[in-house]
Amino acid sequence: MKKVILIADDSPTIRKFVSVALTMQGYEVVSACDGMEAMEKLPQAQFDLVITDLNMPNLDGFELIKSIREDERYKEIPIIILSSLAGSAEIEKGLKSGANSYLVKPFDPKRVQYEVSKYLN
Amino acid sequence: MQEEMLEKPQESNSMSKVFERLSDLKSIFKFGEKIVPIIQSLVEFMREIIPLLETINSSISDSTKKMPMAANQIADVTSATELATTQILDLVDDIGIALNNIESGLIQDEENRAKVAHLLAVIKEKVGPVHAAQAELDEVYDLVISSQLKESSIQLIEAIKDDTYKITLSLQVQDITAQQLAAVNHLIESVNNRLTMLVQDINQSDIRSEFLPEDFSGGGIHFDPNASYTKTEGKQDVADAIVQESRRVNN
Repeated sequence: MKKVILIADDSPTIRKFVSVALTMQGYEVVSACDGMEAMEKLPQAQFDLVITDLNMPNLDGFELIKSIREDERYKEIPIIILSSLAGSAEIEKGLKSGANSYLVKPFDPKRVQYEVSKYLN
Repeated sequence: MQEEMLEKPQESNSMSKVFERLSDLKSIFKFGEKIVPIIQSLVEFMREIIPLLETINSSISDSTKKMPMAANQIADVTSATELATTQILDLVDDIGIALNNIESGLIQDEENRAKVAHLLAVIKEKVGPVHAAQAELDEVYDLVISSQLKESSIQLIEAIKDDTYKITLSLQVQDITAQQLAAVNHLIESVNNRLTMLVQDINQSDIRSEFLPEDFSGGGIHFDPNASYTKTEGKQDVADAIVQESRRVNN
């Protein structure tokens, strides 16, 4: 059975980049355009991993991670941040809110594949 | 007599007050003489500056009108590059799927080839060494087992996959430029709002109704103003180091 990954990013091109990189590896990818939509989609499938941007409308990445970690049903799901924010303050804040890994944009698709495989294989 | 004596000092007192007032009046006139030329200069300056202020006001109004259009054009550029990038990525996705199919086909072919080689070996054994077709059978068998099609093709497929990854990486410039353009739009919107307020103050009239900030289609996009497209691993290295440190502390 295919592992299912949820990607939350307000940029359609980034959602597509991640989707292309991960479907090539045999994963199923579901997209959400912000944190709010990601929270709506979480109960709709058995997600194995979440990839999220930080700067998003409605519900940003930090809030999304916090919401996931506070929910008993999803608190064990590995979360990877994928953001163009590369300052140590943001990285530390992201990890403190509950993310497992932090990838900086522009990203190497192989690095995303590697990071995902670390948690799913 | 006594009454006269009393009235005289009072009279003199009043007179001295009148002189005092006259002296004050004289000072005011003297000051007036000095100030009138300055006021005249000021009036002349105002006469000269008012047309200039009106020109500035009209220029600001014109610029304010054009700003939402510029912002919309920037937003259009972002949409166009986004569409083009998505179309290219769709093709890259299709190439990836095709490559995966070819790879699966080659693996299947390899398994079939192994079966054929096995069957040939059985046939060779059954027909014996003196059969007329022995040489041809040997040749076919050698061709089947020595085929390097799978290995060479897999290498080629991996190389193409590598190239598609590189295309994907390079195309991320679109996302970064979209964020930079959104930052420019935000700046234009801020300048427009300030200028609108300035024109409002000058005209004492509400021109905001003509140039509503909602005209800015770039508004509302979330962006990182410092987003930059660099292929260096530096930023990721910093992130990795912080993640490592965080894991070490948590363990």
